[in-house]
Amino acid sequence: MPGESKNGMQCAEFDLLLSEVLDETLSGDKLEKFQAHGRVCPVCGPLLAEAKEGRHWLKSLQEVEPPANLVHNILVATTGVDTVRLRQPASAQPQISRAERMREWAGTLVSPVWAVARQPRFAMSFGMAFFSLSLALSMAGVKLSDVQHVDLRPSAVKRTYYETSGRVVKYYENIRFVYEIESRVREFKRATTPAEPGPAPEERKERKNNNNTSGQPEQKQERNYSQGGTQPVLASAPNDPPVVTVTTYRRFV
Amino acid sequence: MLVRRCLAGDAVAWEEIVQKYNRRIYNICYRFAGSGEDAQDLTQEVFIKMYRTLKTYDVERGAFMTWVTTITRNLLVDHFRKSKQDRVTDSMDTAPSEHEDAMPLSEQIPDKGAPPDAHVQSRETGETVHRALQKLSPELREAVILRDLQDMDYREIAAVLKVPEGTVKSRINRGRAELARLLQRTYRQVM
Ligand SMILES: [Zn+2]
Repeated sequence: MPGESKNGMQCAEFDLLLSEVLDETLSGDKLEKFQAHGRVCPVCGPLLAEAKEGRHWLKSLQEVEPPANLVHNILVATTGVDTVRLRQPASAQPQISRAERMREWAGTLVSPVWAVARQPRFAMSFGMAFFSLSLALSMAGVKLSDVQHVDLRPSAVKRTYYETSGRVVKYYENIRFVYEIESRVREFKRATTPAEPGPAPEERKERKNNNNTSGQPEQKQERNYSQGGTQPVLASAPNDPPVVTVTTYRRFV
Repeated sequence: MLVRRCLAGDAVAWEEIVQKYNRRIYNICYRFAGSGEDAQDLTQEVFIKMYRTLKTYDVERGAFMTWVTTITRNLLVDHFRKSKQDRVTDSMDTAPSEHEDAMPLSEQIPDKGAPPDAHVQSRETGETVHRALQKLSPELREAVILRDLQDMDYREIAAVLKVPEGTVKSRINRGRAELARLLQRTYRQVM
């Protein structure tokens, strides 16, 4: 019965002391009074037993592992950036392996251009250019899998350089040939589609001056595949397959 | 301090905060909301809220951990209200399915008897306790989660829930006892 006093202790006081008793922080006279009340009170006695049992069940619950992509998603949702740790100087992170550092270094070099390449308006021409390059490379006898397993020791690099340089001239000729065809096709397309005019003259001029690739993407959806940026993008694209999907994080928007 | 660095525009500091607290927040949300998917969404919401309101955090007024937990708890309250409203709307739209709530836990969870493998048993027990926890009222649930799963002290919990310490203790007692009663029905033979 709440409010009832048994053995010099009220039920409310018992309730207040219960958690401390289970924490084992109560002792002496108060603890004895508490136990005496629990023995005789029909409400508090069972409450003590059940609370003890419930606490035991709760303590048996293990901490759960958050999903692996949680931190990534949070960072994208808050800062819009995946991780900043990777952009710190390598000296600050002795635990990172050489391969990882190489990848980061390559990443910092290509990321501005790569960001441009990921934009939808560049995606098509980039995809075509990559296709052309891989075609040219395979015609010249180079497999992309070989490129991924290049030996990076200085001596090996030197040897590979001399072995490759001769062939590179040939690839270059091939690539140039493919670009030649591509640009002809583009010119042909432009000439045959007067209904969709290219950018206005002043706009085109503006874009020529604007070599800044880190800025916001222009939202205009003109069908213009030919951008000055195509070739450098190609030259410095990372080894990852250039899947030209646009990643959206629908959850947070 | 991390928060100060973060406010000064140090993105690395923010990532450190995320790394440091995501596990804790995710666990609170998971134990309160019940599902991993909800917990993931809620954890993200907590960090978005934190990111936006970081400058309102006052060192004088308490530990950062308490502040983080308060944000988490407030979002859980909103989530609970919203999902309760959704449930009401759902039951108005479709045929009422009151049996789901009315059925005692012991009938919802198939009786396992005594599973032979101790590891399987502990995992299944964990699942059963987790589901029983979802049956507690939100006031009792949050109290026992913060105390028994997050090991917060009564003063901190009182600050998060904005109720007196005595109320916190009383809720913890009732939450633990209620959970034990729910599980007694399931494990009558085993206990
Ligand atoms: Zn009593």
